[in-house]
Amino acid sequence: MVTAAGKSSAATAAGKDGEYATLRELYRPHIESFDYFLDEGLDKMLLSIRPMDISHPSSSDTLRISLEKGHLLPPLRDVRMAKPLYPQECRQARISYSGEFKVDTLFQFNNGAPMRQTFNFGHLPIMLMSKLCHLRGADSRKLIYHGEEATEMGGYFINGGMERLIRILVLQKRNYPMGMVRGAFEKRGPGYTDKAVVIRCVQQDQTSVTVKLYYLQNGSARLGFWLGAREVLLPVGIVLKALIDTSDREIFASLTCCYSDKYERGKGVVSNQLIGERAQIILDEVRALSLLTRTQCLEHIGQYFRSAMEGFEKDDYQTVAEAVLKDYVLVHLQNNHAKFNLLIFMLQKLYALVDQTASPDNPDALQYQEALLPGYLITVFLKDRIQDWLRKSKRLIIEEATKNKSFEFDNSQEIRKFLCKHSTSVGRAIESLIKIGRANSQSMLDLPQREGMSIQAERLNFHRYISHFRSVHRGSAFAKMRTTTVRKLLPESWGFLCPVHTPDGEPCGLLNHMTSACRISSFYHSEGAMKDFEKIKDRLLAELVRGGMIPLSPKMEHTGPPEVLHVHLDGCIVGSIGSAKIEELVNYIRRLKLLAHPATPEDLEVGYVPLSIGGAYPGLYFFTSPARFVRPVKNLVSLPDGEPHIELIGAFEQAFMEIRCPDGGDGGRKESFPATHEEIHPTAMLSVVANLTPWSEHNQSPRNMYQCQMAKQTMGFCGQALKFRTDVKAFHLQTPQSPIVRTATYKKYHMDEFPSGTNAIVAVLSYTGYDMEDAMILNKSAVDRGMFRGDIYQTECIDLSTTRRGSVAEIFAKSSLSRDSSSVIDSDGLPRVGETIVPNEQYYSTYNTLTGAIRPTRLKGTEPAAIDYVAVNGTNSKGSLQKVNIRLRRKRNPIIGDKFSSRHGQKGVCSQLWPDIDMPFSANTGMRPDLIINPHAFPSRMTIAMLLESIAAKSLACLVLVVLTHYLFLAGSLHGNFVDATPFASSVKEGDGNPWKPKSIVDEMGPMLASYGFNYHGVEVLYSGLFGTELTCEIFIGPVYYQRLRHMVSDKFQVRTTGRIDQVTRQPIGGRKHGGGIRFGEMERDALLAHGASYLLHDRLHSCSDYHIADVCSLCGSLLTATVIKSETQMKSKRNMLGVQTVKPPKNLACQACQTNKGMETVAMPYVFRYLAAELAAMNVKLDLRLSNRTESHPQQ
Amino acid sequence: MDRSAAGVSYQRFPRVRIRELKDDYAKFELRDTDASMANALRRVMIAEVPTVAIDLVEIESNSSVLNDEFIAHRLGLIPLTSSGAMGMRFSRDCDACDGDGSCEHCSVEFHLAARATDANKTLEVTSNDLRSTDPKVCPVDQAMAYQQAIGTADPYDTSTASDHRGILIVKLRRGQELRLRAIARKGIAKDHAKWSPAATVTFMYEPDIRINEELMETLTLEEKTSWVESSPTKVFDIDPNTQQVVVVDREAYTYDDEVIKKAEAMGKPGLIEISAKEDSFVFTVETTGAITAYELIINAITVLRQKLDAVRLQEEDGDFTGLDAHLGVA
Repeated sequence: MVTAAGKSSAATAAGKDGEYATLRELYRPHIESFDYFLDEGLDKMLLSIRPMDISHPSSSDTLRISLEKGHLLPPLRDVRMAKPLYPQECRQARISYSGEFKVDTLFQFNNGAPMRQTFNFGHLPIMLMSKLCHLRGADSRKLIYHGEEATEMGGYFINGGMERLIRILVLQKRNYPMGMVRGAFEKRGPGYTDKAVVIRCVQQDQTSVTVKLYYLQNGSARLGFWLGAREVLLPVGIVLKALIDTSDREIFASLTCCYSDKYERGKGVVSNQLIGERAQIILDEVRALSLLTRTQCLEHIGQYFRSAMEGFEKDDYQTVAEAVLKDYVLVHLQNNHAKFNLLIFMLQKLYALVDQTASPDNPDALQYQEALLPGYLITVFLKDRIQDWLRKSKRLIIEEATKNKSFEFDNSQEIRKFLCKHSTSVGRAIESLIKIGRANSQSMLDLPQREGMSIQAERLNFHRYISHFRSVHRGSAFAKMRTTTVRKLLPESWGFLCPVHTPDGEPCGLLNHMTSACRISSFYHSEGAMKDFEKIKDRLLAELVRGGMIPLSPKMEHTGPPEVLHVHLDGCIVGSIGSAKIEELVNYIRRLKLLAHPATPEDLEVGYVPLSIGGAYPGLYFFTSPARFVRPVKNLVSLPDGEPHIELIGAFEQAFMEIRCPDGGDGGRKESFPATHEEIHPTAMLSVVANLTPWSEHNQSPRNMYQCQMAKQTMGFCGQALKFRTDVKAFHLQTPQSPIVRTATYKKYHMDEFPSGTNAIVAVLSYTGYDMEDAMILNKSAVDRGMFRGDIYQTECIDLSTTRRGSVAEIFAKSSLSRDSSSVIDSDGLPRVGETIVPNEQYYSTYNTLTGAIRPTRLKGTEPAAIDYVAVNGTNSKGSLQKVNIRLRRKRNPIIGDKFSSRHGQKGVCSQLWPDIDMPFSANTGMRPDLIINPHAFPSRMTIAMLLESIAAKSLACLVLVVLTHYLFLAGSLHGNFVDATPFASSVKEGDGNPWKPKSIVDEMGPMLASYGFNYHGVEVLYSGLFGTELTCEIFIGPVYYQRLRHMVSDKFQVRTTGRIDQVTRQPIGGRKHGGGIRFGEMERDALLAHGASYLLHDRLHSCSDYHIADVCSLCGSLLTATVIKSETQMKSKRNMLGVQTVKPPKNLACQACQTNKGMETVAMPYVFRYLAAELAAMNVKLDLRLSNRTESHPQQ
Repeated sequence: MDRSAAGVSYQRFPRVRIRELKDDYAKFELRDTDASMANALRRVMIAEVPTVAIDLVEIESNSSVLNDEFIAHRLGLIPLTSSGAMGMRFSRDCDACDGDGSCEHCSVEFHLAARATDANKTLEVTSNDLRSTDPKVCPVDQAMAYQQAIGTADPYDTSTASDHRGILIVKLRRGQELRLRAIARKGIAKDHAKWSPAATVTFMYEPDIRINEELMETLTLEEKTSWVESSPTKVFDIDPNTQQVVVVDREAYTYDDEVIKKAEAMGKPGLIEISAKEDSFVFTVETTGAITAYELIINAITVLRQKLDAVRLQEEDGDFTGLDAHLGVA
């Protein structure tokens, strides 16, 4: 067995910039989005908040409050001393890693000179490794110095000591009008159809407004958007007219330009003659309202909206209408002409959708989706909270002004007091967004959900940890949906979302993971410089014009597809181009992209939707926006330097691109559509975790999914900085190994820093019955020698300041009476490090300063623990300890019932621990297996890769063995000589010609094995350990990397004989924690009935449950009337009881109703029956018992 | 031998021939007995020959990166020289003490104290740092280094002094310290694998290979070569002079049936007949160094005899105490 244990020290790696760059790359979307929030987003957002005008209710004074600039400080321990607070200290002390947030606010009294004041908004959480984090850019040496992992990648927040991150959610692609068909649209009102064009417009500050253009049955359209809590619907004609000064003729011409009677229904034709009639209807609608000019339209809108728009109570209708158009209609565009053009385009697309000349866009396809990233979410939510703060403050001030006549607006001290009242709630809201994941707001903020925004970054093992940051959730609303359409794996997500790595069960298909190659476009260039979108836009436009685009000035070209296509840049129509020249333009722009031209950012998306018959609405869409999913592929265009070039492509353009697999084949393409791009490697379609499964292409696909699940549950190395960790629960494997068989990804992502299993010698045979049904036999001697040994670390944080009763302070102290030096508790009241404590033993004690009472705390549970670590987090003002962390260590060596799994979705439970001598052995090597699994695990599951792994690892182990025994000095050079099990390796064309290797892996490994004297197919003759005789069959045996899963019996077993019972029913309670029983339910009862196991049934349901002997009056049949008669003799005997206890006198009972004890009988029954009688009695229902001595079960009628 | 109807005696007289004997390696033949005896011997060698291993660890100070249990476990796995183990008492049977390690009949005390002071180098704490109170019981590496120093080492041993660097227990950084007291006790591997003196004990059935020469002669040289090469181990070869197939190493045969399958595939079934001799075994024994291979075999036979004695005693007076005492059931 090759024991290549994971390197324990990462500190040896030289501290340079590119260290763990591949790992950091995975976390970039999180960190970049937050960096943007710090760099630019915050200030942009503050400036975008409309100044709040307050007018005095009684005087004519006005006050204008506007926000200017935000200041966010890095996390500091002490603000005045500017002493940095490090993340490790936050985790330790269970506090938040956050910085003070202040905003410069301007007061303007009666349009006078503005006065600047700074307001404190509490603390904002700071993302680790963001630009405000103290660890940004730290090398591994510095990270280790500060108690972090050498590989620490950040991307999360620390809140109350917990590591939490904001989940990446899927949103509709920004600034792209989507044609949608949805039944819900019909419910907007009478006359509405199920068709609409929907566009999610995103402003500069990342807030978004979704605008829907509904199609009406009469051919007209309504523009809908959400204002406050309701959706407002405007006739599209009014909006068109209100946007710019235009004439009906012009609108008519713009709308109908896409129709030409030259073309019938053919390729690229999106319109028919109906469009003229519809345009007429739209215009007639407006005319019917007698709105003829722009001013009239604006006034109409203003009138409608003034009450709904906040802060415009005093303004005239036109101003209100302009604000509505600015704030709610196509907000990503500043220019009204651009808005007009886009609205015309949307109408044309809507009509094409209605006429089925263009197909609807699938909102579930990744093509029309983008990511919601932490930084952007925080910006949006923060804006909402600050606006809310302004609103609340305004209300307070006005209330005060109406109540208090002497209150004046120029009294800045007073004003400040009111503004300060709610200011810290802003910081608190953001904290709670991180802490409980709730984005509380009056409006929906155009977000898909309000809760579940954040999740805990569990460090159970590295796989799980990484997956959190790579996961993309579709939204919690979809989880409740009955239909499964949203969960489907669509071809559009190829290369962006991993098809393998999704959980099975409830979140299946909703919780996806980005592929290892997938990135998310951001505000930053890859070198880290901020992108200047204005400049990019100008340059790109110039290049587009050079490439043949006719710029738009300022109105739309009066033709349409199929002759001319519109060119969009981030949702703005910038021009048009003849469909003949379009390919040329696309190629030109792509070439510029490859040459890293300044006009084309590396993640520029060139979405060319070609002409088609009834397909997607054609056009040329350019996107430079952030939050898009992008991934690298090879461009096959040969540039002068001849090197193949990597191009970042987006999910939108991918659907219309020809990307081939690097296996050298054409992928079934027609010659007229040659591939323009090529995948870099087929494994780019898999996530990091899915990529780690060796030879996963040889496994049945669900098995790979199971492995992705199980890799995240393994008990491995959760971290190298375990000593400094204060996780509530951490699992740790003592003797992990590096897998012999591994994929290229393993090294790329430094998985050796966090190994998660052991190379176990696995024999596949059914040896006795103990490996049936996925059970497995472990070699006890191997376990004795350390295989799969592990620990659980549990940290308890004891904060006396929160547990104190009343105002009495408590401190840690040991009882002065106890002179016991062998006690675990040291003189400070805290346990000694290294000491072992048994259940119910005291391990720390507190002292109540008022009563002087010592209150010791005992260890809960049923297993012993060792004190691993005690840390003091803080003292109170008097300097006595108040907050400590105690970390307990519990041994978790493999025992029967623990769960293990290979890397191929083959999990099993240990059923026996057998000593070496009982295991089968090989005659020539003497080798005994570490683990025996049943051959039945293979046929139906088809995990061929596990067999391959076994053979490959065996042949490598032989090689190493031979080298080690014969050439001892070479041993060092063997390092890194592992079997490469990268999936789809045979699909990659190597060099020229020879598309795939003719040999299978077995053909490669077999001769190698044979050359070392083993069987070609990896089987061996084994001898029974018990009898020493040859086993009938040759046994398949070899090393397989096994993981120990975190589900262990010690945490799960539940057993009870007697114990606590429920107060009401007197039945045993449930729950492992309280020593309860396991429910013996109805179905179990049915089984016993069916078997006629009456004694067992009686035992389970009666004797061991709520056995009760009740006194029943046979005269009246009542169960409840029995009362104890306090007779003279009884009273006497009670008095005697003060002396020596005599024999207990029989209870003298009488029926209260019958006033006699004649009919009293005792009956055994379940106590709940008596309870039932009591409950019925409470409802005035009498339960009548008829007692009899007859043995027949059925009384004669 | 008299085979009366009253009782058939199955008594056999096994023979042992030692082929190779080194300090930690032995190869011997066991003949004229059956698999039950051979396997019993194997099982006893692995699991029931007593050795001494560290069993109780009292940690005074441990500021290393490994936790106490881990270090205690690692200490337990260090093989200690246990030539005297047969004569020692199990601490559970020891009358002189309560098994707390305070008596020399059942336990040996070890001390370890290490503290890293060098800033630039990690200190490797190895088994060589263990200080034994009994010179007869010490880590195997220490003993070997000592033997080499005084020149009584195994002449066949090719290792050099630098190979006995000791077994790594833990690495310490500057300022870290490990101080402990450990008690080694006698035990058997049935309780815990650390007491196993055997690294590997295995036996094989001696194969009986019969080549059908007549049929073999019908093969061409090419066919012969391919047939010979079909065996993954070098069992057969072709005589360069006579071009006949000869058995070069019978015991290299692993009962993998490759040659038989090959013969069948060539259309010559019955080309070769291989059967295992039911009463002839070749043992390979490797020890951990705790005791020599010779001691291991002899002690195993002693233990086996004790067990058989216990069975016989039980037969005589229907009493299980003898066996129970050995198994530690009582």
